[in-house]
Amino acid sequence: MSEYVTLTLRGPLAERIEAGAIVPNAFATLAEADIARLPLWLGRKQVMIGDVFAVGGERSASVRIHGDVRHVTGIGAGMTSGTLKVEGDAGARIGAGMAGGTIDVLGSVEDDAGAGMTGGSIHVRANAGNRIGSATAGASRGMTGGEIIVDGSVGTDAGARMRRGLLFIGGAAGDRVARSIIAGSVIVIGRVGAEPAFASKRGCLVVCGGVAVPPTYRFACEYEPPHVRLMLTHISRRYGVAVTPRVVGGRYRRYCGDAGTVAKGEILEWIRE
Amino acid sequence: MRINGVFIEDTFAEAFPMRAARIVVTAVNGRWAREAALELTGFATSVIACKCEAAMERDLTPAETPDARPGVSVLLFAMDTESLGKRLVERIGQTVLTCPTTNCFDGLPHADKRLTSGRALRVFGDGFQASKVVGGDRFWRIPVMDGEFLLQESFGVAKGIGGGNFIILGADAASTLDAAESAAAAIANMAGIILPFPGGVARSGSKVGSGRYKGLAASTNDAYCPTLRPLTKSSLPDDVGSVLEIVLDGLDETAIRAAMRAGIAAACKPGIRAITAGNYGGKLGPHHFPLREIMAETATAGAAP
Repeated sequence: MSEYVTLTLRGPLAERIEAGAIVPNAFATLAEADIARLPLWLGRKQVMIGDVFAVGGERSASVRIHGDVRHVTGIGAGMTSGTLKVEGDAGARIGAGMAGGTIDVLGSVEDDAGAGMTGGSIHVRANAGNRIGSATAGASRGMTGGEIIVDGSVGTDAGARMRRGLLFIGGAAGDRVARSIIAGSVIVIGRVGAEPAFASKRGCLVVCGGVAVPPTYRFACEYEPPHVRLMLTHISRRYGVAVTPRVVGGRYRRYCGDAGTVAKGEILEWIRE
Repeated sequence: MRINGVFIEDTFAEAFPMRAARIVVTAVNGRWAREAALELTGFATSVIACKCEAAMERDLTPAETPDARPGVSVLLFAMDTESLGKRLVERIGQTVLTCPTTNCFDGLPHADKRLTSGRALRVFGDGFQASKVVGGDRFWRIPVMDGEFLLQESFGVAKGIGGGNFIILGADAASTLDAAESAAAAIANMAGIILPFPGGVARSGSKVGSGRYKGLAASTNDAYCPTLRPLTKSSLPDDVGSVLEIVLDGLDETAIRAAMRAGIAAACKPGIRAITAGNYGGKLGPHHFPLREIMAETATAGAAP
């Protein structure tokens, strides 16, 4: 048993590779050679992990990936336990549908990271693409549990249709953030794009860097929401994210909506310390 | 055994199992956190009549609390888990929920056994309450008139120990009270320990039952009342004019032993004749705390009086 399994990319990738087999909990009982024989998909062609990555270590649920894996999709998808660390950028659908364990990406990730996840945590140290934490194509629910932390900015439809869980965005978010959320929390330290929390039923969108609140949200009050303080404190302590005290203990305007639904959702707009 | 000339009696304190919860109350500042904690721990000196025993464990800095605000840690003990759950709902609902700016969290996050007191209290929100899951724990947002009260859904239950004690026998009331105050101060802020009586000190030590009144659960410990020396089978030496007791509840034996060691050492001051402890011959509870064994590390040799 090794401390961790390392996957080192053998060379630059020209094509997209589907890597649903790279799941830490699946590696926990496998020898090095068995890990190398797990299948990957290069277009319609099946290859083995060992064809693409140099495998080091065995029988460990801690996995480290070295190399530029922006073209490798589905890393850690469906994982249930263990740790996965990507020492650079990662491709689309990383951690999609995961139920447990932790993923730490030192670079950026492509679209659909954490889509439909039910548990565990993903920490992206740079930026993320579209639909992070949202519903997979055709699904009625986005993430239903777990935590996604993005130090940088994200694309459109972040957290769309999420049912539960926490999505933290240290930078800005694109259009339709928290679209149709059923519950859960989305925190954006920067600005958000158009149509924030559009058609949300419940759930909480916190925006610290500027938001155009839709007319379908009604102003309630200015106050210091205790759950925002709790969530930001938790994020700061657990993930080592530097969150300014100005927003942790700040005052927020509370808007209730979306009026087109049951209207039990909220947008919390940071206004001052 | 003598410590600073004070005789340590060769006896033991007898304690019994209880169930304990640690409640973390935070507020906008330390003053309001303590206001809530004072109410939360009010009328909770003895399970005999108060149904629970509770006191502040220690003040917490913002770095120690879940929401990074000043807080107070409270320990609450009851005789069983069911009773503990009832007391949590009653007391948090009436004293912390009602106090401006407070939030309330569990202080035993690693305890396997949980009481969902927060879930029971959420209905005060009358349907307007909302929950948040943060770090795997569920919290309830209950709307109140100054904003929202944030309450953790479940509280951990620990197997605690109640009734640890030592008794200070002094020459007069002033020196005995001074020694008791020193003992309480030495124990204050120790982790896992509370002193549930006023100021940490009890003057009305009791015996089980009554020599005169049927049905009385407890009555005055006449053997330690100086005024009854000629009227009862007194346990007091002739030169003892005042007696005070320190009662301790703790999360485990280690915490109680450490607290007793610190408290007894602090109580061994001029004017104090002896330190003893209350027990019922080993019939009350399984936890025994021999004074001399506990004090062995700090004792100096001496002759018995």
